[in-house]
Amino acid sequence: MSTLHTISKSPAKGLLSSCAPLLKQGDALMLLEDGVYYSYQNELDDLLAKGFEVYCLSEDLLARGPADKNLAESKLLDYEGFVDLCCEHDKLVNWF
Amino acid sequence: MSDSITFISRAAPYGENNSKLCMDIALAAAVFEQKINYVFLDDGVYQLLSNQSPEAIASKPVGAALEAFDLYGIENVYVDKNSLSSRNLTQQELVIKAKVADSDLIAELIQNSKSVINL
Repeated sequence: MSTLHTISKSPAKGLLSSCAPLLKQGDALMLLEDGVYYSYQNELDDLLAKGFEVYCLSEDLLARGPADKNLAESKLLDYEGFVDLCCEHDKLVNWF
Repeated sequence: MSDSITFISRAAPYGENNSKLCMDIALAAAVFEQKINYVFLDDGVYQLLSNQSPEAIASKPVGAALEAFDLYGIENVYVDKNSLSSRNLTQQELVIKAKVADSDLIAELIQNSKSVINL
């Protein structure tokens, strides 16, 4: 009964602060499009400290120039990995 | 997991179309007798303010449409507590009776829904 949340807009939109309080244990967060800019910032620290899995679409990150400061290599997923991740969760909630 | 659909409406009225889109999808789903939770989050709470007069900007009042929720059998209407307080709003200023919900409750609604529409 887990949910995959995706954020696809820049951190300037403040979507993480809307999304983060609504995560339940077992939920995961996937960053895509301009959402990958979150991986340049410290805003993810809280979520990571709470043990939530945070993933990032590698194509979108590479396109923008990888900063890769907060996410381990293993958390970078290509499109195929993203599809697998979707299948591992019961539903998707998109934040945009 | 229940078979309900949770709608999260996060946009202020009038400035963009998302608030109306979200509502239209919910009303359409209600016609097909889906179980619906409707949550007002972030700027979405501005839709609930009473005394809106959007005629001045050639728009229809959102509040009137919200009153249709009852007719369509959408009873589980929630408003996020933090979104209200961070905007200096109180439940008394709202046009319909929405249950004030904290993040934990909304997280549970999401967890227990079959799908979530987040606009």
